[in-house]
Amino acid sequence: MTPAQLTPASFVSYSAPARAFAIEHLVLLQRLPLAVCPSFLQQIQNLHTSFPAEQEALRWQCTALQALPAEKYKQLTAPLSTLALTPALQSMDWVNDPAAFITELTAHLWSSGQLNLFRAAATSLFAAVPPRETTTHRTVFVVLGKDATIDPRKALRKLARNGITLTALKHETAWLDIRSTLQQRATDAPYASWYIDGGPPLPELTNSLLHAIAISYPGLSPLRERVLQRMQSTITSGSGGAEAMRTNLTSTSQQDVAAADITPDPILQRFYTELFTQSSGPQIFSTSFVQWTGRELARRAQPQTLLLRYTPRQAYHDLNELVTTTTPTLDAQGAFRDAEMGAYYNWIEMDRITTKGKLTFVAWIEDHPFAVILSPNAPTATTAATPMPLSEALHNFG
Amino acid sequence: MRRNLLYPSSAQTISATRRDFLRGAIGTLSAASISSAALASQTASVLRPTQKTIVVTFGGGARDEETFAKDGQENIPNLLHTLLPQGTFFSHVVNAGILGHYVATASIVTGSYERFDNFIAQPPPNPTLFEYYRKGLRRPASDAWVIAPSNGFQRIGSSSHSSFGPDYGAGVILPKRLLAAALHNSKSLDADRLSYLLQDSYEMPLYQPLQTSIDHELHLDTLSSTLKLSVDEFLQHARSLDSADELSIFITKQLMKQHAPSLMMLTLHDMDIAHSGAYSLYIDAIQRADRLCAELWSMVQTDPEYKDRTTLYILPDFGRDGDTDPGGNGFQHHRTGGAMARTTWMLALGPHLRQNTIVDRPIQSIDLVPTIGSVLGFSTNSSGKPIRELL
Repeated sequence: MTPAQLTPASFVSYSAPARAFAIEHLVLLQRLPLAVCPSFLQQIQNLHTSFPAEQEALRWQCTALQALPAEKYKQLTAPLSTLALTPALQSMDWVNDPAAFITELTAHLWSSGQLNLFRAAATSLFAAVPPRETTTHRTVFVVLGKDATIDPRKALRKLARNGITLTALKHETAWLDIRSTLQQRATDAPYASWYIDGGPPLPELTNSLLHAIAISYPGLSPLRERVLQRMQSTITSGSGGAEAMRTNLTSTSQQDVAAADITPDPILQRFYTELFTQSSGPQIFSTSFVQWTGRELARRAQPQTLLLRYTPRQAYHDLNELVTTTTPTLDAQGAFRDAEMGAYYNWIEMDRITTKGKLTFVAWIEDHPFAVILSPNAPTATTAATPMPLSEALHNFG
Repeated sequence: MRRNLLYPSSAQTISATRRDFLRGAIGTLSAASISSAALASQTASVLRPTQKTIVVTFGGGARDEETFAKDGQENIPNLLHTLLPQGTFFSHVVNAGILGHYVATASIVTGSYERFDNFIAQPPPNPTLFEYYRKGLRRPASDAWVIAPSNGFQRIGSSSHSSFGPDYGAGVILPKRLLAAALHNSKSLDADRLSYLLQDSYEMPLYQPLQTSIDHELHLDTLSSTLKLSVDEFLQHARSLDSADELSIFITKQLMKQHAPSLMMLTLHDMDIAHSGAYSLYIDAIQRADRLCAELWSMVQTDPEYKDRTTLYILPDFGRDGDTDPGGNGFQHHRTGGAMARTTWMLALGPHLRQNTIVDRPIQSIDLVPTIGSVLGFSTNSSGKPIRELL
């Protein structure tokens, strides 16, 4: 079957909203090359458990591609149409199981040496979709470094190159300032405000950030442990490796790990499940969990306010032990270094989805007078040694 | 490696001039390009028949960002300040093949971009460096070895090529499998304490493969007959080590001492912990690899069998994804196929090589096999090209 052969009846197994969306964009889907059409179908299939921002982004993308002049569209998709796909790929049921097709396609592109061509062509195609300009101002706080020893000469240096470093922050009121800023800037839009904690959530935050969805590493431990059990079964089977592990995890649904025990919201059930099944690392390290959750929120929920708190993670042993140990020792220093890089990646991801000049990003080293602010009003690669509370710093630079 | 294909990608550029790569690295370094005249004088070097070759790969991939680029230099003091001034540094090594560790390592040792499934341990279809070497120079089996800490690398020593194969291949030692067999045999009371040395990376073809009693016997035989170690001696030493890579260096040292092989490849793999997303552990592993490379070179220089007759090549099998590549998650993986993941470096040291020299022109990781073949005097059928600066 080719995309050109798609009809409304092709989507009979889809949920009602997914089917409606597919039929609405049938003309586009029929014109897409087979190498990319299943990726659109995968997103459409999951529409009913997608965040509003994801749904809007998909609609925007489809509308923009559908509106491209015919000649331009033909030019952009021509390289994707010339990719050599095997008969086995072409005969797959990519309409009803697009995820399986994408897995096989990816392996084929690597092994046939066509990955670079695909990558360049897909990049060009999506570059033709204009960015969505929004008036949304996003505010992100990243708190890190709990119990770690800090070297001010090196701390947060990747972020510091892109913002102002505060070396004399009056940090005694920092939590209060973070809380009040988030309260002021939060909206009641669904899934727009989030608080993610690598350790036990702080009650003063969960009690005051009323619009925020609060999730924590310990809070999601039931899901995490169910995923770890699945990982353990792959590891001890003696016949499985990374490929088997990935297949096992990506085919794990929210029902398989009883995500309904955590939340009745089906959108959150899928999101929480996929934090552990579509990743490597969050299953064993809280720092990886916080970074990955921030990344996925930026890509999917596109929050307006976000608080990410990195805490000491379990110390490293071997993977097999990390999967099975229940009472780990903690490594604050290693966690701080993980978190520095994680915070930098969190900034990159949030900056990517935010209209230029609309992002305020603050990284504060917990219990230390040290922070970096990146925002339109913050000069880059500069240092402020004047003592000031975070509220004043945000007023001046945020 | 198999995900996130469709995130639109910003242009990923590796610095236009790779000379910037080492900016500020070491004041004494003369970043000289090699002229044809200089090359001509180098080719006058006469190689002794007992020439030794050691290839060290950073299997797990290491980015410029954490090694020779400005921020990374603090992680590699030995490579930068001790080894680089003694060798020729290639700042632009491209891997245009599949960025999976087993298949990429196989590509390095065959000199051809292999296309088989990275996640199935299988012999490469093209002849390996070890087979070319042993067949071409009629060398015995004890003269070529591979030390690879990862499960799944057991087939890397020889190809399935009909004109070559295991009869000409290298012996393969998987230190973690040796340790597992030794622990099984000794029923050591502190077996749990040593289990950290058996770590598996996320990206291995096989986790904890089931081992039969025959497997155990084979490994124990390797310990006693090849490495000349008793189980107790081996375990005693393992207790003093911090990681699987340290175990690999210990095995290398034993091989050098017992057999003085002329061709060895060693894969350091601790840094693949990056797949867990823990940046600090990835950095720790790079720092450890830096220290172990210096230890290895020191071992070479203090062993009469190796001193002044050994060429050491150090190269990552590839890089890792760029920080800003939207298809990846930065250092954690190597799945995008972007330029950052495909571009890395190589350092070569040896008595016939220029010292304190940087070469900026692009070479490929598959160029190593024909280069070693040209240096040692055996033919290869690689799709790579000999690296003229090393001949």
